[in-house]
Amino acid sequence: MRVAIAEDSVLLREGLTRILGDAGLDVVAAYDNADDLLRYVRGFPPEVAILDIRLPPTHNDEGMRAALQIRERHPGVGVLVLSQYLELGLAMQLLSESADGVGYLLKDRISDVEDFTGAVRRVAAGGSAIDPKIVSTLLQRRRSDDPLAALTPRERQVLELMATGASNQGIADDLVVTLRAAEKYVSGIFTKLGIPSTRSESRRVLAVLLYLRA
Amino acid sequence: MVAGFGTLVVSIALALAGDELVRPGLQALLFNWITVPYLISGTIAWWRRPASRLGPLMIATGFVMALTALQWSTVPVLLSVGHLLDLVPAAMFLHVFLAYPTGRVAGRLRQVVVVAGYATAVVLQLTKILLGINPDSLFTVTTKPVLAGRIEQAELITMSALLLVGAALLLVRRPSAIRVRRRPVALLVDSFGLALIVLAILFVAGLRGWSQIETVRHVTFAVLGLAPVVFLLGLLDARLARTDVGALLMDLRADPAGDLREPLARALHDPSLTLAFWLPKYGSWADSEGHAVTLPGGSDGRATRVIYRDHEPVVALEFDRSLEDEHELLDAVAAAAGIALENSRLQAELRARLHELQGSRARVIDAEQQERKRLERNLHDGAQQRLVALALEIGLLAGQSAGDADTKARLMQAKQQVSASLDELRDVARGIHPAVLTGHGLAVALESLAAQAAVPVTLEVVADGRLPEHVEVAAYYVVSESLTNIAKHAHASTASVRVTRSAGRLVVEVVDDGVGGADTERGSGLRGLADRVEAIGGRLRIWSPADGGTRLEAEIPCG
Repeated sequence: MRVAIAEDSVLLREGLTRILGDAGLDVVAAYDNADDLLRYVRGFPPEVAILDIRLPPTHNDEGMRAALQIRERHPGVGVLVLSQYLELGLAMQLLSESADGVGYLLKDRISDVEDFTGAVRRVAAGGSAIDPKIVSTLLQRRRSDDPLAALTPRERQVLELMATGASNQGIADDLVVTLRAAEKYVSGIFTKLGIPSTRSESRRVLAVLLYLRA
Repeated sequence: MVAGFGTLVVSIALALAGDELVRPGLQALLFNWITVPYLISGTIAWWRRPASRLGPLMIATGFVMALTALQWSTVPVLLSVGHLLDLVPAAMFLHVFLAYPTGRVAGRLRQVVVVAGYATAVVLQLTKILLGINPDSLFTVTTKPVLAGRIEQAELITMSALLLVGAALLLVRRPSAIRVRRRPVALLVDSFGLALIVLAILFVAGLRGWSQIETVRHVTFAVLGLAPVVFLLGLLDARLARTDVGALLMDLRADPAGDLREPLARALHDPSLTLAFWLPKYGSWADSEGHAVTLPGGSDGRATRVIYRDHEPVVALEFDRSLEDEHELLDAVAAAAGIALENSRLQAELRARLHELQGSRARVIDAEQQERKRLERNLHDGAQQRLVALALEIGLLAGQSAGDADTKARLMQAKQQVSASLDELRDVARGIHPAVLTGHGLAVALESLAAQAAVPVTLEVVADGRLPEHVEVAAYYVVSESLTNIAKHAHASTASVRVTRSAGRLVVEVVDDGVGGADTERGSGLRGLADRVEAIGGRLRIWSPADGGTRLEAEIPCG
């Protein structure tokens, strides 16, 4: 699996290259800026591109613009955006079309090596990886008439995992339940919240996030 | 004054008598047409403007013109005097026209032309008479007709040339009648110039012996007589202008603190008038808004008059150059506006101080903002990156220590600590400066604020594109501080944030349904917010009735 990276901090660029390499992924390019990455992706589209959201020269929105550009022009390339801060607004921008092959994670997440490499593989395969903090922010959001109150604690956990992009199998593994049980929880949540259910795991990420954000 | 009237009476009598005796008909009429208006205009000018030499000069011109009629007398003494003075009026016309309006001939070239005119009219005239050009003259010493004829030719050519130079000098300085409504002055200069030109033509016609010389003479006399008539019109216009000074006084009394420029421009008949106020504290000139300006200083058809008070400049009037000719009007207007101008100067100074104060407040805020950005950037690129790298390193170590459960657990705990530190550092950094604002703008930054608020918030941002940074930062803090206040004090169940942009202003509205009673004077939060918004030229208003609900509205100019 081919991975291209744009990260301006040498420490993190080398760290990323190392852990992804150790996990058996093929880091084919690692740059300190967005332009070089974009040029590489145009020539040799990898399975997934990992970008720091703040990149030179201005450290403003170069990384974000590059991510959106890759999503628009190379739909086959998964895009994983890393950031020191999480912004709900940016998450929604990244997901504006669909949650297919997109990830938005705090930089800290790379220290959970297994989870992180798993997220990279998921995004590369067209799935999604939304930071749990984004999801918990949305879940904690106050609502005047809160339909989430109808969910059981277990269902809340499942909803959270679903929103981060976890598959039914992932949910089952995480909660140590059977796949059947996980599927039952998922369909139960859709019914309680009145969200039209969908088989595609990435499409349901968007549906859940949009529901939570509204 | 008495002398003036005496001269007038004698001159008129002389002119009339001379004409009746010698040259009846059209010629006499035209002759009177010149002399009488000069005498009348001169007398009025002398009366109206005693300080100006122009009045006496005009009377003298009329008088000498009348005396030249003596050349047609039969009495030898009178005839001789009349001949001697024949060309002096031409030099005097030149003098009068070039000396308008002050009575002084200003400028080296003008002075040379006037002196040369008199020299020609006296020296060459006397020489040719001494040489016997006129056999009846008592001054004839010898009879050399050829030489005398040559001298006469030289005299007429020189005088014509001087008159034409004089006309050119006048027309070069002709005020632009189109730009400013100063038609009488322009007309006056035109008539002066025309008079000098036709006089020059008359001399050339005499020299060349043209057959239509009498017609030329009539035209010349008619035009020469026109000048003092136009001059009288000019005086009348100045009189009318002075009645405008009366209106100016009324205007100033009716609205002493109002805009001064308009009434002054009306009184001076110069819509292009501008005012500059001297601000001694700043050592510079400023317009009525307190913005620094420089005086143009006589360029580009403009002129300046500085009004002093106790030897200190107070205000400068900048106007069309043609107005310079009306010293009296300017004096009258300046005197009438004196107190009001002083008031306006103080107002301009106050505004300059306000600009300065506002500028320094804005600069302080901007400097603080830049410093905050720098700090956040240092944290982001330094401590935060290192901590992430450290967490990664610990994570890798934990992965490698699979065999040793205790070590692994402690490493995982260490990693948790680092993550917690990162969380705290993130909050600190975001408090110092919300980087998302710089990177992605107000709409994205507000989304996170609204999502994390303690009450349900509906957010609406109707402002496309990026705004100037200081505007985005101020708007962000307005929303952030308001939502914090709502969480702490309002006991609200919902709130709404609306950001709109119209007519160069960003309007931020934050409304809640809480208990109300919020106040900018209590609680430093709202006061600080108001200060921040006002420092960048905006305004913060709060409606917070005691019976509930708070509505906060910030208006920020955004260009």
